[in-house]
Order: sequence, then C-alpha cells, then structure tokens
Amino acid sequence: MIGIPTAVLLGSVLFLLLLLLATRGSAAAREISSRLDVPLLDDEAGLDPCPPEFVARIFAPDDWEFVRGTKSRELQKLFRRERRLVALVWVHQTSTAIRRIMREHTEITRQSHDLRFSTETKLVLLYGELMVICGMLFLAIQSAGPQRVRGLAVYADTLSQRLAQAQHDFKTVTARPELHGAGSV
Amino acid sequence: MTATVRLVPVQAAYDDLLKRSLSKISCDLARLIYLASTRDYNTGSYHHDGLAARFRPEIAGKALEIAHRQIFYQLSACSLEELVEQLQTYLDCSHESAADILRIWQKLEPYRVAIPVEVNPAVARLFVSNIRLALAIWRFRQEQAQKNP
Repeated sequence: MIGIPTAVLLGSVLFLLLLLLATRGSAAAREISSRLDVPLLDDEAGLDPCPPEFVARIFAPDDWEFVRGTKSRELQKLFRRERRLVALVWVHQTSTAIRRIMREHTEITRQSHDLRFSTETKLVLLYGELMVICGMLFLAIQSAGPQRVRGLAVYADTLSQRLAQAQHDFKTVTARPELHGAGSV
Repeated sequence: MTATVRLVPVQAAYDDLLKRSLSKISCDLARLIYLASTRDYNTGSYHHDGLAARFRPEIAGKALEIAHRQIFYQLSACSLEELVEQLQTYLDCSHESAADILRIWQKLEPYRVAIPVEVNPAVARLFVSNIRLALAIWRFRQEQAQKNP
C-alpha cells in the first residue's frame, strides 16, 4: 500500500511524462508536416474545421480492407504510407486548434472579473487530456497505423469539439454579462 | 439588403448550374474538374459566361464556388472503392486514351489544382492521397488484366 504523498508524486510524474509525450508528439508532427505536400498553417482559424465524418473516414478500416483485397504488397505499402500522413496532418491540425482555443481563452480570462474556479479547472483538465491524447495518437499512428486508433481519434475529435463549444459559450457569457452562469463545461 | 435576399439569387444560380451544366456531366470527379476549370488561376474567382448572363457575374461566381466546395467535400468523403469507380467512369467518358490520362495524372498530379481555396488541410490531404491511391489501384488492375486476359 502506498501513501497519499507517494501517490500524488507518482501521479505528478506520470502527468509530466504524458505532457512531455504530447509536446514531443506535436513537435515531431510539425517536423513530418514540413515534408508534406499540403501546407499546414499554425493559425487555421479562418479555414473550415474538419467535419467529423472525415475523421471517421481517415481512420476507417474499410479502405484498408479494400486495398488488402488487391493482394498487392506495393499498394498496401503505398496505402499505409499515405493514410499515415493524412492521419498525422489531422492530429497536427487538432492540436493546433486546441492550443489556439486555449490561447484565446487565456486572453479572455485576463480581462474577465467573473471567473469560476470549477469551470477553469475543467477546461485546463480537458486541454491537458486532449494534448496527451494527441501525443499518444501521434505515436500510435506511427507505430500501429491509423486504423488501430480509430476509437481514440473519434474520442479526441469529440473532446476537441466540446472544448471549442465550452470556449464559445464562455466568450458569449463574457461578452454579455447578463447571461451569467451559462458557460459551464 | 438582408442575407436572405442576397442568398436567393445565389440559390437560383446554383440550381440553374446544377440543372443546365452539372447534371449533364458523367460523374462527380468530372464535375470537380469542370468546376475547378471555371476558376481563374491568378485571382481565384469563378467565371461562367452563360450563368453570368442569366444572373450577375458575382452571383454566378458565388454559385460556382459553392458547387465546387460541395462536390469536393462529397468526393473527399467517398471510400477508396467508390473513388476508383469514379475514376473508371471519368476515364471511360473521356475522349483521350485512359493510359495517357493515367500517365499524366500520376506524373503531374493536375488534380491538385481542383482543390477549392481554404478547405480544411486534412481533407485536402485526404483527397490528394485518395486520388493517388485510386490511380495506383486502377493501374494495378490494368496490369493484372493484361497479364491474365
């Protein structure tokens, strides 16, 4: 049986490790994106968000089954390489969007006089969870391929939409003080 | 002028474009190539003489832009199997030799020009990737057919 201080210490170390993983994943994704032929922007605020059906499509197993049906090793190799890069672009894009949302949120909270501790904590935890998932996705896509991590990718997409919605609600409430209390996560 | 009033002529131009032009084109891939060809390389604005004559040039341009994005997203959401079928239809309906088109498409990747402006980068990458794969699969099938006639 371990004591509470040890558990807290272990938890903190684990959290830091996961954060490191997320940061490394993101940095490596950036390096790979520099080799891609579709430019990735750091600020994609003006662009269309990736619709959820495309997330499912990128990570779907049916395209792989179709290519496997050809029994051509070359095609299978090409498919794995191509789909892996598309999946990495998506992870990079998602983590960039998450960081942008949190940057925006920080800017707003600096000017706000009506902050709720529980809402802020939930947002920070959601942000941390998403960044860790992005780091894990990055490594898993590289090692196991996108088809194996479909569930995690769809989950990350749902969470990032929740974060965007929470930030949007918070912005609305801050802009209109009479709607006080509508910005909970 | 309200947004509704502005949107009505665009909707009418869009419907007209669907009815008179796009419905006569064999498949979505061909529609995408056609719509991309109405876009100016330098300015990115869309032009269609017939549509501009029936509506105003800016209304026609907007309708073409909407149609272009819509077809692009539709095609990008296709499974690889469906995309290979689209490619087959496109090649069958073309007046050029399928082998020549395939060679040029694989070498120059002209379909990249068919991507609308400011679409999501992951979707754009998925589209390019899927076309590349569809071309490779089509070529593989042709080679198999030649080996085992």
